[in-house]
This record gives sequence, C-alpha cells and structure tokens, in this order.
Amino acid sequence: MDWTTIRLLYLSELRSALRERSVLINGILIPLLMYPLMMWVMFSAILFVTARTESFASRVEIAGLPAEHRGLLERLEEEGRVEVTEVDAPAAGTAAAYRAGIEERLRASELDAALIFEATADGPPGNAAVSLLSDGSSDQSQTARGRLERALSAERSDWLDRIAEQHGLEGGEWQVFDVESDNLATGVEMGQFLMGMMIPLFFVIMIANGCLYPAIDSTAGERERNTWETTSTLATRRIHIVAAKYLYVATMGTVAGALNAAAMVVSFRSFLGPLLARLGDGDGSGFAFELPLRSLPVLLLTAVLLGALIGAAMMILAAFARTFKEGQSMVTPLYLLVIFPVVVLNDPSLEFTPPLAAIPVVNVVLLLRQAIAGNLLWLQLGITLLSNAAAIVGCLWLASRVLRVEEVATGSFEGNLFQFLRRQLRPAGGKA
Amino acid sequence: MSTNQVEVHGLSKSFFDQARGEVNAVREVDFECRSGEIFGLLGANGAGKTTTLRMISTVLQPSSGTARVLGHDVVREPVEVRRNLGFYSASTALYPRLTARETLTLFARVNKYPAERTRDRVEEMIERFGLGEYAGARIEKLSTGMKQKVSIARTVVHDPPVLIFDEPTVGLDVLNALDLQKGIQELRDEGKTILFSTHIMSEAERLCDRIAIIDKGRIRACDGLEGLRAATSQHYLEDIFVHYVTADDTTG
Repeated sequence: MDWTTIRLLYLSELRSALRERSVLINGILIPLLMYPLMMWVMFSAILFVTARTESFASRVEIAGLPAEHRGLLERLEEEGRVEVTEVDAPAAGTAAAYRAGIEERLRASELDAALIFEATADGPPGNAAVSLLSDGSSDQSQTARGRLERALSAERSDWLDRIAEQHGLEGGEWQVFDVESDNLATGVEMGQFLMGMMIPLFFVIMIANGCLYPAIDSTAGERERNTWETTSTLATRRIHIVAAKYLYVATMGTVAGALNAAAMVVSFRSFLGPLLARLGDGDGSGFAFELPLRSLPVLLLTAVLLGALIGAAMMILAAFARTFKEGQSMVTPLYLLVIFPVVVLNDPSLEFTPPLAAIPVVNVVLLLRQAIAGNLLWLQLGITLLSNAAAIVGCLWLASRVLRVEEVATGSFEGNLFQFLRRQLRPAGGKA
Repeated sequence: MSTNQVEVHGLSKSFFDQARGEVNAVREVDFECRSGEIFGLLGANGAGKTTTLRMISTVLQPSSGTARVLGHDVVREPVEVRRNLGFYSASTALYPRLTARETLTLFARVNKYPAERTRDRVEEMIERFGLGEYAGARIEKLSTGMKQKVSIARTVVHDPPVLIFDEPTVGLDVLNALDLQKGIQELRDEGKTILFSTHIMSEAERLCDRIAIIDKGRIRACDGLEGLRAATSQHYLEDIFVHYVTADDTTG
C-alpha cells in the first residue's frame, strides 16, 4: 500500500469536506451542539414552568372542616400562596348537589381545588372521610392539589399522634413497624445508569449521521460533480483511492460519535444534574454525572469500530448511485436498519450475554452501557471486537468485489447492490 | 527521429446495455502517436472517440486488443500509464471545494512529481496559466474560463510526456476555445505528444499533424491532412470526412 498517496488523498477529502456546510452541520455541529442546546432549552423551560407554577396563589374551598383539624388552616397559611374559603358541611341531602357545584367551578377555573370533609359515625372525634377534588388538566389545579396533600398529610399524621397519645401509646409505637428506605446506589452510580441508557443510543445515531453525508458525497457526489473520472486518472491504484475515501468516511463517523458522547456528558453534568437536583425533592439531588476513566478507551474504540463498520456499509450502497439523491435513497434504509435494533433493545434489564456480543452494532451499544456503568466484561469485549472486525472485513471484501466491476466503478451500472448481487449470482450465460 | 509514444492495436470495447443489448463501441482500432505530434481523432458524436481515449487513459478496460503508453500496457501497468499521461475531458471536472493551488499540488504529488520541486512547479503553472489572482480561491467560485485553465494546468502539472484532450472545446465560447487551442499548440511545441479528439473539422484542420477518422467504432482513415486530401481528391476536411463516412454506409 502506498500510504503517502493515501494520506494525500485522505487529507484532500477531509479538507474538502470541512468546507462543505452539510458535512460541518451533520458531522460536527449537530453532534456537538444538539444535546447541550436541547438540554438547555429543556432546563430553561422546566425552570420557567416550575417558577410560574410555584408563584400561583391557589384558590381552595374547604367544606365541613372538623374542629379537631383546625390546624390544617395554619398549615396552609404556612404553605403560603393558598387562599382558603371555608364553608360549612353541606346540609343533609345536598352533598351531591354541592359536589356537582364544586366540579363545575373547577372546570370553569373559578376554583383550583376543594376539600370536603364528611364526618363518620365511628372512630375518635375528628374522624372523617375526605374528598380532594381538582382538575388534572390544569397546572394551577395540580399545584393546589399538591399543596393541599402536603398539608393534609402532615395534619393527619399529627392528629394520629394525638389520638395515640390519648390511648397511652408513645411516639411511633402505634405504627407497628416503621419503613426506612435507603437507596444503596450512589449518586455517581445513578448518574452512570442514566448516562448508560442515553449515551449509547445517541452515539450510534450520531455515528450513522456522521457517516451518511461523507459516504454519499465521496461516491455518488463525485459522479454527480463529474470528478470521479478525474480521480480515476490519478497515478495510483484504485484501491488507494478507495482506501482514502473510506478512511475519510470512517473518520467523520468516529469524530461525530466521539464529539456527541463528549457533548452529552457535558450536557448531563451542566444541565441535567442541576435540573434533577432542583426538581427531585431530594432524590434527584443524588445524581452525579461522572464518566469512569476506564470507559473512555472503550468509548473511543467503539466509536472507531462503528465508524469503520457503518462507513464501509454505507459506501458499498452509495457506490451504486449516480446522483446524491439516488445515494440518499440507497443509504437511508441502512441508516434506519442500524438505528432500529438500538432503539428496540434499549432496555435496561437486557443482559449483555456472549450471544448478544456477537451481533454487530447492538453489541457496541451494550458494551458501551456496561463501560459507562464502570463494568468491563472482558469476554463480551473480545467477542464484540471480533464480530465487528469480521463485519468490517466482510464489508471491505464486498466493496473490493463491487468496485472491480467496471460498470459500477464508472457509474454506468443501472441498479443497486441487491440487483448487482443477483446478477453476480446468476449462472453464466443468463445475462440476456 | 520519431518514436511512437502511444501504440494502439486491435483495441475493442463492447458492453451490455439494457436498452440496446450488446454494444460494440470500439472495434479493432489501430493507430500510433509519434513523439511531439498532435494526433487527432475525428468523429461524430457516438463514433467511439471518448471510449477509445478512456481505454488509453485506463479509465475503461479494453474488451480486447492492446494499448501502450511509452511502452506501458494499459491493462497490466495502469499506474505507470497514468503517471506518464495527462487526461483532460469535459467529464473530468475539478474538485469544487479545493482551491486552484491545492488542486495543482494534489495532482502533482499523487502523480509522483518530485515532492521537493512541487511547490515551484505549482507556482510555475499558476503563472503560466494566469491564475495568480485566483490561485487561492475555491474552484466553485471561478468562472468557466478560469476553471478551464485550472483543468489544463492540473493535466500538465506533473509534466507528463503524453497528453490526451477529449473534445476540450465543448461548451467553451470562441475566445476561450481559441485560447485553449493555442495552449495545446504550445504544449506540442514543448515536445509533448498530444492525442486530441474532436468533432469540429476546423479545429482538427488547424491543430492536428495527423488525423484518424473514426466512425461506428472503426478507424476509416489515418494520415496527415495532405495525405487524406490526396487519397480522396477532396480539399476540405469536411468533405474528406463525409467521403469516408458515407463510403462506409454504401459498403455496409
């Protein structure tokens, strides 16, 4: 192999590509900026909605509040931004009509939520059945419901304590058993779990995206621009020209994947982390988005593997196209074929077994997920490397067979890869 | 002393076309190009000129026969052939996103012009073809005339002894076409061997030292203009061309 010539052609392809707006947008800008931008927009939107919701004054009506639960009003006052209208319990026989009236006012947004206490005959004083009415389709009503639930829960707990005390029970004795929940996963582990679900999925999509335009541009695009014949008169073997183009396509895919993964980690840390901390009522604040150092070589390796594999497959398909448009229609099914299993298999319960490690692309996603979680399964890693390497070699072998056929190399073959294969497999003499 | 730089013997090309079936585009073509001459392939559209030149330039493989450039066989030594050849045609466009200077450097380097002399050679080409002001501009931004000049410069930048021009003036205005013809004559004067195809009689008459008339994939005649005149008793090349082509029609 004449590596000096391959290097010259490769650099020329890269230089040319980096001056093309579509390549820059699809291969660099989208992978780099899409997720930070998307998360920033999401972060800002959620904060805006949250702030707006929190500033609402909730209009609440409470009917039939027992004397034993007057504390509820104090709690609501402490909650702030709750305007309470207290009314007597509906007279006997009017409960249904009263409730219907409340429902109507809720739907008309004249009221945000209502509490209706109905005293029960049995039980200690203050025992009551409570109905909390709200409109789930309204943010304002949902907020009011949340505020009422928090105050009601605290009031109920206090009242139960008081009743228990009257019966001579201390503290939590009446509760029989106490539930103490403890999340054993550290914040870093939870962050890695979330990143493991998201990063591999978008990683594959972005590598496919990164390869798509260069694969078509360097084959069908050359024919469309009439530069293919110019290239084929260069004093070098065709294999060197194809090798340079292939390296260029694989590089663009790899770079798109690596940039995307880096951008996603930064986005998780800068946008999603603070967002979860702010919204999570404690739980979310436990997320920490740290990528284990040992996952970085795996990330790079998988980017190279996928770039090389998807790039080769896309180039084979695009080699049959004579125009960019034809190239797009020939390559897009492969793009979808690559993404489909990745989306379908993005199930956290899916175990990365050796048989799954033999399926190209899918194995890369699962390997990456494990690596982000800090686990390296060496057997699966080995199988993944072998299976992808075999697929790459298979694609390159097929490419060399395809480009050896003059009609394909010159762009005069009318048809796609499958028509070509059918023709190759047809017995000799069956052409006419 | 004149030696043959290009030798073509029994060269044929057939291919399968879905609409037309088996097509014999070139049939047992024979000719030689001598050192330092402009050899013209004159024929109507579809006569087989481009297919013949593509086989000589190794873009297409012959179905049978041989073609040699400086003794190198186009099938067995395609890289050597391309190294000694500059190929220019309407379908050899330039890379639109590279600049003229980058294009010339790439072609000089890949075509194995000595690396240490490449920079000087590229600057020489830029000056010779009047590209100075535009050398740093992307090809896609240049006018048709300037692109034409860059194309010729990239054809000759590696200083090949043999040049092929396949209908180079197609699509050019009169002034640019004359400019190009002048450039080709200058290259011949520098000692290059030039294989030139055209369907324009005046162009062939003005430029070519010897002319081969090609029709339906076969060479009908091959000689200098005076020789063709003597053989046909016709003065004008147009009449000579018609003489050979119609003679073929009447003989079937």
